[in-house]
Amino acid sequence: MNRVLLFLIMLPSGLWKRLGADIAQLQAILKVKLMMDNRKPLSFGNNKGMEHRKKKDRKYTVWLTMFLSFFMGIMYVLPIIITKFDTVIGLTFFYTMFVFVFTFTLITDFANVLIDTKDKFILFPRPVTDRTIMLSRLLYIMIYLLRLVIPMSIPAWIVFGLIKGWKGALFFPVPVLLMVFVVLFLVSAMYIIMLRVAKPGRFKDVLNYFQIIFSVFFFAVWMLSSRMINPESFQALEVQAYDWVKYFPTYWMATCWTWVDNTAKVLPGTRWMSVLAIVFPFVSLWATVRFLAPAFIKSLVASDNSNEAKPVQKKEGADTKKSKVQLYKWAEMLNKNNAAKAGFILTWLQTSRSRNFKMRVYPSFAYVPVYFFFILMQGGSSFSEVWEGLSEGTGYIGLLYLTTFVIMQAINYITMSEQYKSAWVYYSAPVEKPGEVIAGAYKAMWVKYFLPFMAAISAFTVVVWGGSVIFDVIIATVNITLFSVVIMRMSNRALPFSRKEQIKDSGLKTIVRVLGTLLLMGVLAITHLALVGLASPTDSSFTLDLSGFFNTRWLTIISFSLKLVLLILSSIFLWLVFDSLKNTDWKSLQKAEQHI
Amino acid sequence: MSREVYICDMEPIITIRNLSKNYGEKVALNNINLDIYPGQIIGYIGPNGAGKSTTVKILAGIIQDYSGDVQVAGIDLAENVLEVKKKIGYIPELPEMYDLLTPREYLTFIGKLFHLPDELIESRTVKMLSSFGLKDNIDQRMDGFSKGMRQKVLITSGLLHNPQIIIMDEPLSGLDANAVIIVKELLQVLKAEGRTVFYCSHMMDVVERVSDRIVLIDKGAIVADGTIEELRKDSSDSLEKIFAKLTLSEDNTERTGSFASVFKDEIENPTTPHE
Repeated sequence: MNRVLLFLIMLPSGLWKRLGADIAQLQAILKVKLMMDNRKPLSFGNNKGMEHRKKKDRKYTVWLTMFLSFFMGIMYVLPIIITKFDTVIGLTFFYTMFVFVFTFTLITDFANVLIDTKDKFILFPRPVTDRTIMLSRLLYIMIYLLRLVIPMSIPAWIVFGLIKGWKGALFFPVPVLLMVFVVLFLVSAMYIIMLRVAKPGRFKDVLNYFQIIFSVFFFAVWMLSSRMINPESFQALEVQAYDWVKYFPTYWMATCWTWVDNTAKVLPGTRWMSVLAIVFPFVSLWATVRFLAPAFIKSLVASDNSNEAKPVQKKEGADTKKSKVQLYKWAEMLNKNNAAKAGFILTWLQTSRSRNFKMRVYPSFAYVPVYFFFILMQGGSSFSEVWEGLSEGTGYIGLLYLTTFVIMQAINYITMSEQYKSAWVYYSAPVEKPGEVIAGAYKAMWVKYFLPFMAAISAFTVVVWGGSVIFDVIIATVNITLFSVVIMRMSNRALPFSRKEQIKDSGLKTIVRVLGTLLLMGVLAITHLALVGLASPTDSSFTLDLSGFFNTRWLTIISFSLKLVLLILSSIFLWLVFDSLKNTDWKSLQKAEQHI
Repeated sequence: MSREVYICDMEPIITIRNLSKNYGEKVALNNINLDIYPGQIIGYIGPNGAGKSTTVKILAGIIQDYSGDVQVAGIDLAENVLEVKKKIGYIPELPEMYDLLTPREYLTFIGKLFHLPDELIESRTVKMLSSFGLKDNIDQRMDGFSKGMRQKVLITSGLLHNPQIIIMDEPLSGLDANAVIIVKELLQVLKAEGRTVFYCSHMMDVVERVSDRIVLIDKGAIVADGTIEELRKDSSDSLEKIFAKLTLSEDNTERTGSFASVFKDEIENPTTPHE
């Protein structure tokens, strides 16, 4: 697979040469990078015997990912069907969706590739030009992109092959490829602007927040727009109705189809724009490599060097010193033994400073409200209608349980770190039960992220729905805690920051586990919802209607006492599971790590 | 003594004029002037944070925004950094390598970056690694390597393109006694072939023995420059002592003394509870 892609990427080597790259070096760099991707590093504490088994798993997951991408691709055929196979407008939608999704993916996932400074000592002392390095990074990302884009566009490809014949089938990949260039340009341009704007040394932090804001923005736009656009309005869809679309590169790509399809309708006087579709991606790529690459590489070096040279400036200020004292107090209060305290403090401090951690966890804070309104607006009603009807229903249960997302993201990433090798300290220190460290780490995440967020959400809930929901808030808190501890115990039992960051790839096993845990969460939340609904059956669809047997007063009492039972049961389970997590010994830890 | 001879006979291979470099407000290098002649081993020493690594990174073309003038083999570093890089073999302090690769794969990669033909890369790789005793490890992934094994591959990767100037930053770290001997012999061979070695280290005894000329920097400026005999100035001090004299304002023995007495003091005055 990689070899084929590398071959394809190197086909237009004349073009790369014109862009100022050294072909032999470019090929060597790409080859090495791809080769390294195929070799998973051993995580700390794992023995070498695992290597062979994992290698096999890996191959299997590559295919699994491609299979999943294919299924997602079916989703992208929807706009084409909705627009009744109108070539230009349907494809404009199709390309726009692709550009959106991939720009989003790239911003979050490939920041590290693009701004990687790790090979500074390997590549920079060698006679390699900035342009070659820049282009090697862009093409490396492109290979990734193609690996996703190809399977995802296959369903649409098939559809177009069927309706347009062999010409359509042959032509289909051309605009898709052009689109990939556009995505590449958009992402790199955004990063380069960031590098220009931010001061060297600070830019990685700025970038971090920029990424968070962007991913939230894309997510919100994506979720809400797909809800707001009413499929019925597509019925009488004509290109003419969307005049502004001609300013978008994705429209230009769609107009390319006029070359092979005489029936394709375009906006009057825009047929020539298909030329732009060809010119725009290459001009933008050329501009990126030609003019922006040197500045880009220079600021990379600068940012990295100044980080090295200025450890003094990163010293904690006076106010953070105070909060640190507070942190130590909390650690004392919440943890019984020193191993747990150590895990607590380490996790707290590390998560405050790790860029990667923040990058992954902070967006989830914003996803919660976005998701909430997304679910509420599923009925197709407008925002103001939803807002007014909010306090009537039992929507708060959903909102409360959505906070699971935050704690899940947090605990999912505390075991991973770039500096996973530093985890040797746990092994050399006289730690009797590593479970204590893990439990301390979990507590830190709970106190640091879940508690304040839950408090904010609860405050909102109480304001909108009234004080009577406080009991539900408590139950939801316990249930979510139980759920997250179960996850921690079952599928994430590893020492904090001891594993190499990587895409989880144990394949089917992971899927089964994820489904299982989701089932547990569903059971907890739906039981809770059903019990709430008992008291007021008219508001809820998830419950037994007992109003024929009891009057409202009795219903309230029954609902309350059942909720109390749920709370007590959950608390007992929580205590048991947490205890088991805490008592993890070295032997079971080793076993657990092998299964992650 | 030998230095004067070179000055008369030869053009310097590295000329550094008024080299300065700041990181924000912090001054890393303050007006460095240095001429280095071919066929010499330069011991470049200084305390932590003195600016050794910065100098070396500028010479290796990693840091490109500095002020001053640097000429390497008659080429202006600022104008043609690529040509300079071709002549320099850089062996960094930290063995940063793509350690998911095997030595053979990694060295092939490096060789390609220097446009070496495949057969040459192959033969040099095998010969160089064999002399380090890594022949059997040539196709094993480096992520399982010990520090010394990595260091050997790192040194090989710096010498693979047969550079005129070799910059070594703490090259002996992690090496076993036999490998140290090989590297020391290597230094003499390189010197005999007329190559220039820029040798940065904290190991004073090694620097004293291998270097033709010693340059000592502190706080971004050169504080001593000459052969070991010249630095001694008729005293019988070791380089270690000279180093301490020039770079420490307070009495060194007092510092180490206070470090060692921490535990003793605790036993005598048990104010802090310890487990």
